[in-house]
Amino acid sequence: MAPRQTLAERNTIAALGVIAPPPIHVTTPTFDGSLAMLFQCVRDHKVQLLDVPLYPICEAYFLYLVNLEDACLDEAAAALAALSYLLERKAWLLLPVEDPEPEIAEMVELPTPTAHEYHLAMESLRMWHEERSQMFFRAPDAGPEPYELPLNLENVSSGDLARALERLLLRAKPEPVRPLGKPRKSLSDQMRIVLHALSESWQSLDDMVEDPFTRSDAVYWFLALLELIRLGQAAAKVEGEAVLFARAKRA
Amino acid sequence: MSLTDQLEALLFVADQPAPAKSLASALGVTEGQVEQAIEVLEARLEERGSLRLTKLAGGYQLCTKPEYAVLVANFLKPQRQRLSKSLLEVLAIVAYKQPITMAEIEAVRGVQSDYSVRALVERRLILDVGRKKVPGRPVLYGTSQEFLHQFKLNDLKELPALGVAGAEDDQSATLALFED
Repeated sequence: MAPRQTLAERNTIAALGVIAPPPIHVTTPTFDGSLAMLFQCVRDHKVQLLDVPLYPICEAYFLYLVNLEDACLDEAAAALAALSYLLERKAWLLLPVEDPEPEIAEMVELPTPTAHEYHLAMESLRMWHEERSQMFFRAPDAGPEPYELPLNLENVSSGDLARALERLLLRAKPEPVRPLGKPRKSLSDQMRIVLHALSESWQSLDDMVEDPFTRSDAVYWFLALLELIRLGQAAAKVEGEAVLFARAKRA
Repeated sequence: MSLTDQLEALLFVADQPAPAKSLASALGVTEGQVEQAIEVLEARLEERGSLRLTKLAGGYQLCTKPEYAVLVANFLKPQRQRLSKSLLEVLAIVAYKQPITMAEIEAVRGVQSDYSVRALVERRLILDVGRKKVPGRPVLYGTSQEFLHQFKLNDLKELPALGVAGAEDDQSATLALFED
């Protein structure tokens, strides 16, 4: 497989253009012929480029350049273009090929963290729901209100509290027009005021708030009262139609 | 007028589960006496009639016996509300992990769950029980009394232990292999 540069007969193949590469003869274990022929065969997939060592071809090209008497740059350029094409193709062929993505025969169910853990619970719920549907209660639609209170306030419902606020709002004065940028009232300040107004004896929200007050004041009073109930500082109960509030007794 | 009859009258008019404490207070007796009367009434109702005494959602309530379900359903024509698998899954997560935020539900399921949560809130099975003390103050969800009522539960302790299902299935599958 010794590099050899001989004057081969001029090749007529002009794959790189009108200028044909010079007659550089290439001899390798798998290919014997001119550079232009090798180039054409590789392009047409007639020769396995991986089996063709390119080192002797490069050497032959350099010898051709060194021995070039009549400088024909066009031919030399055509040979260089052919050689670079072969080098680039071989380089790509030698690069590691990524493993093709394995084909999945069927859709794989994605792991759901709940599927196993909650399976029995879901099954039980479904079964109980079925069983429950076979039982009928008095006024089945009269269950808990849509917006249940997060706290257990015995017989006080969110509707009762809403009515207490509604009554207070009826007494509220119209809101004066305030300039923009007015500092917001702090709910914690309002909670202090409400806590101070609450006593051991039960009283309605109407009795606690003294005139004059605006609708915003009424809402602040109500929100502060709700927050105090949530914190266990205030208690509520329904007596007749009225909702009464008092300071919660310490346990 | 026996205590059992009085109790039956109260339960007849009750439109939601009546706790023993409330019944005792209304009847002017102790809770223990109420419990005894409940046992007597329960046995009496099982023997005859179309009604049954059920303990659910922390109280007692009268309901029709299952054998009359078709008849009553034909009369009332109730709207059946089936729960989809995703709704059941979210409901189960809330039931076991409450109070829980939307983000925590989604972390467990691995999928967006806002629709399911909203649907369960609309059905009054779960509700807003407060805010979590973390940045953003997300809403915490918990199950409602309606949940207990709809699933014939007296309290949340009646829910089965988590993770047993898979083990049981595996065990039964193994047994089936040996049986074959």
